Amino acid sequence: MTDVTNIDAAADQKLKEAYFTASQGQLIWQRFKKNKSALAGAWVLIFLILSGIFAPFLTPYDATIAGRDKEYLNGAPQIPSFCDDNGCSMRPFIYTTERTRSIKTNFRWVTETDTSLEGRRYVQFFTKGVPYTFLGIPFERHLFGVDKGMIHIFGTDSTGKDIYSRTLTAINTSMAVGTIGVVIAFVLALAIGGVAGYYGGWVDSGLQMMTDTVRTIPSIPLFMALAAFIPDTWSAEARFFFISMVLGLIGWPTLARRIRTHLLTERNQEYVLAAQLCGATPAHIIRRHLLPSFTSYIIVDLVISFPYMILSETALSFIGLGLKDPVNSLGVMLQNVTSADVLLNYQWYFIPVIFFIVLVLAFVFVGDGLRDAADPYSDSSK
Amino acid sequence: MLQFSKFVVVRAVLAIFTLVLVSFIVFSLMELVPGDCAERYLAFKSSQGSVITAADVQAERVRLGLDRPYIQRWGSWIINAFQGEYGDSCILRLNISQLLGEKFWLSLGLCLSALILAYAIAIPVGILAATSKNAFLNNGLRLVSYLGLALPNFLLALMIMLFSTVVFGDSLTGLFSKEFRDAEWSYARVMDFLGHVWLPIFILGWSATAFAIQTVRALMSDEIGKLYVTAAAARGVSGRRLLLRYPARHALSPIINSLGFDLNRIFNELPIVALILTLTEAGSLLIEALARSNDQQLAGAIIFLLTASIVGINFITDIILALTDPRVRRSIVG
Repeated sequence: MTDVTNIDAAADQKLKEAYFTASQGQLIWQRFKKNKSALAGAWVLIFLILSGIFAPFLTPYDATIAGRDKEYLNGAPQIPSFCDDNGCSMRPFIYTTERTRSIKTNFRWVTETDTSLEGRRYVQFFTKGVPYTFLGIPFERHLFGVDKGMIHIFGTDSTGKDIYSRTLTAINTSMAVGTIGVVIAFVLALAIGGVAGYYGGWVDSGLQMMTDTVRTIPSIPLFMALAAFIPDTWSAEARFFFISMVLGLIGWPTLARRIRTHLLTERNQEYVLAAQLCGATPAHIIRRHLLPSFTSYIIVDLVISFPYMILSETALSFIGLGLKDPVNSLGVMLQNVTSADVLLNYQWYFIPVIFFIVLVLAFVFVGDGLRDAADPYSDSSK
Repeated sequence: MLQFSKFVVVRAVLAIFTLVLVSFIVFSLMELVPGDCAERYLAFKSSQGSVITAADVQAERVRLGLDRPYIQRWGSWIINAFQGEYGDSCILRLNISQLLGEKFWLSLGLCLSALILAYAIAIPVGILAATSKNAFLNNGLRLVSYLGLALPNFLLALMIMLFSTVVFGDSLTGLFSKEFRDAEWSYARVMDFLGHVWLPIFILGWSATAFAIQTVRALMSDEIGKLYVTAAAARGVSGRRLLLRYPARHALSPIINSLGFDLNRIFNELPIVALILTLTEAGSLLIEALARSNDQQLAGAIIFLLTASIVGINFITDIILALTDPRVRRSIVG
């Protein structure tokens, strides 16, 4: 009997020891794991990011105009099926389509579907297709394709570009824009908020005044005003970097304020005083004591501000002030969808929206979970 | 009373100072746009067939006062701006105050209605969510507030357009029916307007509502566990009376303070929602000015007016808070 309690006590002791000696990262991970929705969000996020990274392999065609399908403009999604009137096949198939114009169609372009046995296009996996390079190594295999012609599982747009390929590449673009934006915003916020919080006094008041003023101006109109500077002659890549920079240049005030508040409160903590009494230099205190005290908060803030960057980019591109055509992003893909023609006839233009809502939701769930996990008092308050 | 008027004056001075800073940022932005009004106007004229020389451009600059130094031009711009005068639009050659006039008030009205709608929904729902132990309700509200973030207003507008076009065959856009678009205000026009305006207000209020529910709930659940609430309950106050007289009063006063930022968020979405729903007001005019005609004067005036209304709201809420919240009043009067 005593043995059992001893073992229990020992195990308990071990658990406690593990708890008290755990690093901050381990503690956060422990709490994060318990949050089911955040964990699910993290999985979805990883899945989406990976499918963005491996887009060239996962998508059958080039997402730019080079990958257009001349025979299938504004085409509906082609869902592979196993059976039709001509019987079933083990291999899923779609039908061949052809654009024709003749006296029968009143000389308008009409897409005709050939539903006969000969018209079947069989879906194949690991097909050879457009060559691409991944990590510097050239590849030409794609996850799936069809034996002849092309397959568009999300349909095509008005120029015949494959919407599925564009959607996955657009995830990449959004992640890149968000990352650049967040990094720039972070550096600015760290510098401005850090200076304000460290020096305090009139420097702080002056910088606060400035931060508050920038925060009062509605940010999207400000984005729009900045983005309007871009001359039409710039290349798509230059536009891309400029837009990401603008997002960062406007996104810093909220973060700067947080960093300043953290620094101001932490500066007067007793552990800082203790370190000072031990003779530590200010640089040492900042590096070893102040920064670690709020790195987790900063990471959380960065994750939370990520979806805002993505959404702002989408909004800008949507109204035509952001990214432009050869670069794919959700905003670019949605540019022309408000016309009645699209709304009435080509609803598959809206499929990418689902992906992006899921992407943003996943970010929000992960961000919220991280925030709760990074707060050491979140357990006791519940 | 004297101290209170001192407080008001200090706040007013601060607000005006903020506006001056904002005007500097906006004015600098307008200046940074390549090319100035004189060049643009004469480029237009030369496309109409007139022959334009460099001397003409210079003369036009002098006429528009563009040859004066930067600070001086900013000074005169800001002085005029405070009098509601923004000069002529570069491209349209029209007086901006006349051009904006009704449209700006329309935008402000839309956004304020959206804000009111947001809180009219959020306050009761938030209080209910904070007090109820119903897991279904709480999770549902959490999902709604997450969606409020993930489905920004303009995507919601797109989705509603898609849905209504497919189901009703009408995209529900615009602020007026065709026959009333340029008509004088009349009873029929007002009715037609009200028939259209509910959708933009709902869409503009969507994200704000989701955020507001989240805020009200958080503030309310912080207050509800406090001792003074228990004390009041022990004295025999209960039910709605207890909630509204004790925790709700405390929980809601920070909200008054954040109204300015909520309005800011709604303004953010306004231009794009306006573009999608083809609303004829200042937001779509802003996009027009920035994305199509590159009309810096007009864009600057609109951004300045939007910011000015946020600063105005912040000023008013500060005063309201000082009047209604005894804690704040104490800290001023001393």
